[in-house]
Amino acid sequence: MLSIRIAWRFLGSSRGQTALIVGGIAVGIAVQIFVGSLITSLQASLVDQTIGSAPQITLTDPEEGEPVVFSSRVEEVIAGQPQIRQETVVPVRNATSLYTDGSDSAPLNLIGGELAKLNGIYKLTERTVEGEAKLGLSDVMIGKDFAEKFNIDPGDSISLALQGGTRASFTVTGVFDLGSAAFNERQAFVNGQVPQDVLGWSSSEYGSIQMQVEEPFASAEVAAAMRSQLPGVEVSEWQAENADLLVALQSQGTSSYIIQTFVLVAIALGIASTLAIAAVQKTRQIGILKAMGLSDGRAGRIFLWQAIMMGGTGSLLGVAVAYFLLFGFSFSGASFSIEPKLSFVFLSAGIGMAVALASAIIPTRATSKLDPIEVIQGG
Amino acid sequence: MAETLLVADSLDKVYGEGAAATHAMRGVSFEVAEGEFASIIGQSGSGKSTLLNMLGLLDTPTAGRVLYRGTDPATLNKASRSKLRNELIGFVFQFHYLLPEFSVYENVAMPALIAGTLPPTEIRERASEALGLLGLDGLEDKNANQLSGGQKQRVAIARALMNRPAILLADEPTGNLDTVNTNLVYDLFRTISSETGTAFMIVTHDRSVAQRTDRILEITDGRLVQDVRSGPAPRL
Repeated sequence: MLSIRIAWRFLGSSRGQTALIVGGIAVGIAVQIFVGSLITSLQASLVDQTIGSAPQITLTDPEEGEPVVFSSRVEEVIAGQPQIRQETVVPVRNATSLYTDGSDSAPLNLIGGELAKLNGIYKLTERTVEGEAKLGLSDVMIGKDFAEKFNIDPGDSISLALQGGTRASFTVTGVFDLGSAAFNERQAFVNGQVPQDVLGWSSSEYGSIQMQVEEPFASAEVAAAMRSQLPGVEVSEWQAENADLLVALQSQGTSSYIIQTFVLVAIALGIASTLAIAAVQKTRQIGILKAMGLSDGRAGRIFLWQAIMMGGTGSLLGVAVAYFLLFGFSFSGASFSIEPKLSFVFLSAGIGMAVALASAIIPTRATSKLDPIEVIQGG
Repeated sequence: MAETLLVADSLDKVYGEGAAATHAMRGVSFEVAEGEFASIIGQSGSGKSTLLNMLGLLDTPTAGRVLYRGTDPATLNKASRSKLRNELIGFVFQFHYLLPEFSVYENVAMPALIAGTLPPTEIRERASEALGLLGLDGLEDKNANQLSGGQKQRVAIARALMNRPAILLADEPTGNLDTVNTNLVYDLFRTISSETGTAFMIVTHDRSVAQRTDRILEITDGRLVQDVRSGPAPRL
């Protein structure tokens, strides 16, 4: 392939220029991969922090305070939704209570359920920071902030005034940290029997049936499908209740795309201008080669090959630099780690190549059109 | 009987249009036989380089035609014309026009590499032969920029001979050389012509140089005013 050989020699004859443009592509692709992966990971981290340990779809009775029945129909509808992570389906009963410690008191919302099922969403066992995760009939697990506020340790006994006026004593088995101070301070987990007794509900009646979905952003679609199949049941989902967070995530995504787009435009302009200059610098050589019989197509392909060589090398180098930056980021102490998706890395490298090829269009056309007589007469 | 290689038939070349039109060539006709050793002479601006470029298929006549072995290249597409130029014509320009990115060997081999029809071993053999013919042995791996002016021009001649062309068109090939090198180049042209049967068409403004060829075509103001043969005319 003579065009490749000539392209390689032309690049080699102006090493500084070649190195600059390859460096430019590498930096551009590295920024593209780094920024893209950073934003994606940051978004995933934010979503996980916000709803990773919270119900994403909740079934309740439309009438506040009334129980929803976990009927076979409800089970069937839930099982029929492939997006729902079945291991996270947890029916819970809630009861309000008041904790008093001498002069200070605080309301505590009791979430009652089976520990194994609660783990599906709340990951209680995993997030127990003190004591152990255990929910016997007289056990309670309290949040880290509540425990600190009232100086309570695992093994302590606490007395709670339950709704309806009764009072009951519970043994603190564990202290959890679900990442939210508000949750840690106001919510506690008890055995499902406790609120059932307080509320006087049957064994199939629950305050809510909570669950998570495989793809959090599919929650609206899944909820809509469930609503149509479960008339008389209130189906709520996290996106409708976290509109602000969604707007923030979307804005972050948009700004990331804008940055990436401008980086690509900068790369394209850089390669295009360098190739255009190179084409002008090599006009004489191209003219002579054409005078010797090199066809327009093969002459044009010289700069196409140059673009492929520079785009390919720059993209590969960019991927390497991006991984180096990501490695460096892992030491930054950020609360989340960046995990670049291989498909995004390939896409970025592919875009780098495509941009390089697109940048070669003008010099390729100019070279293709060059008439050798212009060079010969020019002397 | 020598075959006709090239026919220039009523060649006109006009630059510009209307009142600003300039006639660079007016009704020039002649024939060149295979292996003929001829020169084109004329003052600076007489149109001799324009004629050479048209013969070399680098420029197109405004009217008239050029035929190579009976084929009118104007009827071919650009790619076929490029191929014809590559196979039939060798060029030597006043400025050597070597490619500084390539070695002497690669510069010489370039026309064959462009043609892409010969196996690498034969390209190497031919390039070595052409370099040997021009006394450039041992310079194969040098960069074109490392040679003297005379050497560069000889490399350009070797390159022009690489594809064993039917005709070698040379535009003031010794214009930048001293007398010694000029004589050397013309002796070489003569030797190559007799050894390879390649026709030569050498453009020069120097009558004494032209007199070393077998035929002199004189161009004045774009017209062929004289066509003189010093030796016996080939029987076309």
